[in-house]
Amino acid sequence: MPKSKSVLILLVLVALLAGLTQASAPATAQEEVTLVVWDNWTRDAEQAMIDQLNAEFEEAHPGVTIQREAYDTTDLTNILPLAMSEAGGPDVAMINQGYTGMGPMVEAGLLLPLDDYAGQFGWADRYAEGLHNRNSFSDDGAQMGEGGLYGVSNTAEVVGVFYHKPVFEELGLEVPETLADFEAMLATIAEAGMTPIVFGSLDAWPAIHEYSAIQHAYSSLAEIEDFLYRREGGTFDTEANLQAAQTLVSWVESGYFSPGYEGMDYDNATLGAFLNQEGVLWITGSWMAGTLATELGEDAVGFFLFPPADGEAAPLSIGGVGLAYGVRADTENPDLAAEYVDWVTGPRAAELLLAEGFLPAAAVDVETLPEGSLTRDVVEAWNTISSEDAVGHYLDWTMPDIAAFIQELMAGQSSPEEFVQAVEEAYQAEQ
Amino acid sequence: MLARLLRTPGGTSKPYVRLYQPYLFLLPGFAIYLVFVLIPIASTARYSFHEWTGFSDPEYIGFGNYRTLIQDQEFWNALGHNAFFIVFYTFLPILLGLFLTSLMTRSKLPGMVIFRTGLFIPQVMSPIVVGIIWRWLFGFDGPINEVLRAVGLESAVRPWLGDFTYARYAVGVVGTWVEYGLAMVLFIAGMQSIDEDLYDAATAFGANAWQQFRYVTLPGLRQQILVAFIVTFIAGLRVFDLVFVLTRGGGPGKETTVVSLLIYQEAFQYRRAGYGAAMAVVLTVIIVSVSALVLYFQSREENEEQAS
Repeated sequence: MPKSKSVLILLVLVALLAGLTQASAPATAQEEVTLVVWDNWTRDAEQAMIDQLNAEFEEAHPGVTIQREAYDTTDLTNILPLAMSEAGGPDVAMINQGYTGMGPMVEAGLLLPLDDYAGQFGWADRYAEGLHNRNSFSDDGAQMGEGGLYGVSNTAEVVGVFYHKPVFEELGLEVPETLADFEAMLATIAEAGMTPIVFGSLDAWPAIHEYSAIQHAYSSLAEIEDFLYRREGGTFDTEANLQAAQTLVSWVESGYFSPGYEGMDYDNATLGAFLNQEGVLWITGSWMAGTLATELGEDAVGFFLFPPADGEAAPLSIGGVGLAYGVRADTENPDLAAEYVDWVTGPRAAELLLAEGFLPAAAVDVETLPEGSLTRDVVEAWNTISSEDAVGHYLDWTMPDIAAFIQELMAGQSSPEEFVQAVEEAYQAEQ
Repeated sequence: MLARLLRTPGGTSKPYVRLYQPYLFLLPGFAIYLVFVLIPIASTARYSFHEWTGFSDPEYIGFGNYRTLIQDQEFWNALGHNAFFIVFYTFLPILLGLFLTSLMTRSKLPGMVIFRTGLFIPQVMSPIVVGIIWRWLFGFDGPINEVLRAVGLESAVRPWLGDFTYARYAVGVVGTWVEYGLAMVLFIAGMQSIDEDLYDAATAFGANAWQQFRYVTLPGLRQQILVAFIVTFIAGLRVFDLVFVLTRGGGPGKETTVVSLLIYQEAFQYRRAGYGAAMAVVLTVIIVSVSALVLYFQSREENEEQAS
């Protein structure tokens, strides 16, 4: 008896171990092909749009099923590289650009170079050259802005200023041409007893936009790109960066931001504060245009580029292309995947994106849009900076924790001089 | 010893089972422990000696990560924040747990079960849910500030979780709220094993409530306090989820950044998984040594008691 019992136990054990080690075998496709797509379309309006696009793609490709999973940007950035090296992970995914996003994935060989498909589908024509570079990396993932193409973006982004048109009329305000005009406007709004700028820094990253919008107004594109691409001589220790820090602090001291902004998150508190007109301006990205147009109406909200310090040059603005659709290197259906990428970044997608208030990366003719609409404001702003090569950058591409430094600056934990020094030290330490 | 235990009741010297057989019974559990605990720990230790993005080919760099770690001010700051949170995760919950236990076991109010259950609920809630609830409570227009405004304490209103001075206290309070339930339940269970006669005797000798607590309850609960200490201490050292939800990554600035959060950021956001692994190893060593130290002193004390 004991012997047969131990044999039994061994059998159970073996079965158990077998169960543990057995990987979920990929379902063998007969005629059916499933394309797993991970994207970033999490808000309601976005979901409807992308579902529509996917349905049309499935219709045009019998037997193809798009299995779509939506993740917020943080999740997408963190989980994606692991998922892309696992069975059952995405064939196509939206990838965050930069040295902590696309770079290491290229280095690890997780992404398929898309240069051949770019020729086949004519993607190069969709972008200005400078924007194309943002989805390119050297083979070793070490240098951004050159080398192979690893993604295609269907949206563009520009950080600018949303404003309540009725309040502008009430106070007799006009869209400012220079930073000085802008500051005068802030003072006027504050004197009228209103909060000039809606803002919340609890989620940290929105603080980057407040600081960097001002930074871009004082800086040249070369200064910003040398820093961002970590080129020779790239530094944070510039006069422009110090000036921007001083300006930001003076705005905090003047009470130009939402009271209690340190405790306000972005998706609820800050958005809510703007919708309820608890403040007149909101310095944030064009990605909010759809939501704002839906909630407040196309005519009620306007958008302008953050004005440059001297009022002469093109208004250099934080911006770029949205997360890029990339293809998994070892996908079983590379051609289909590339076709999907072409579809979600193509003209039909641009049409739907625009209808939802997104800014398509490809240039759109403004004349087709109703005058005085928020959509037209945003498209016009994008056309201006992309045609004048005035598309700036997000600082966190190269320094993911820069928001913490800006929070310290705004809270008076560090002076503008200390802030610039601290960022510079952290930046040099990362080299 | 084992063989003696396993002898047949009849008293023959022949063991009823062979010696290896008990170990066979341990195997399934051990297999799971091996696959999900020991192997991950071992590979974390291995990766800590490598430069690794998390999905690239690891490159061996010896003690390079540890050398960086020693000079990493951010790591030491984060460890300091952990130490701060230990006060809220360990000491306050134990004090609060003792207080609630004496309230609930020494009085015979009806409906005690409901109180006990209600007070324990925070402990069994998902930390994410707890985080979201408290994020709302601490909101600038949230209930806590509303109450303060309502009673005229406008000057005390703060963006709690975004305030450089108060954010860490706010996060700490939530930790206390979560952990005291565990301490309380442990202590209530421990009270059952304290002989009622001791209290009767104490009363007879004229001991007041405080003296009863000090000289009867407290010594009687020593084992439970020790368990509560170790469990909550470990919880305080490895706190991650609450901070992650409450201050979205250790803000404002880096005021509430704790070691686990750094590990997460290094490994998954900055793509320095090898460095993150080194931090994880150091944290594990700290946790294991403190636990071992506490257990060692406890067993030495017990031995002394038995000897005397």
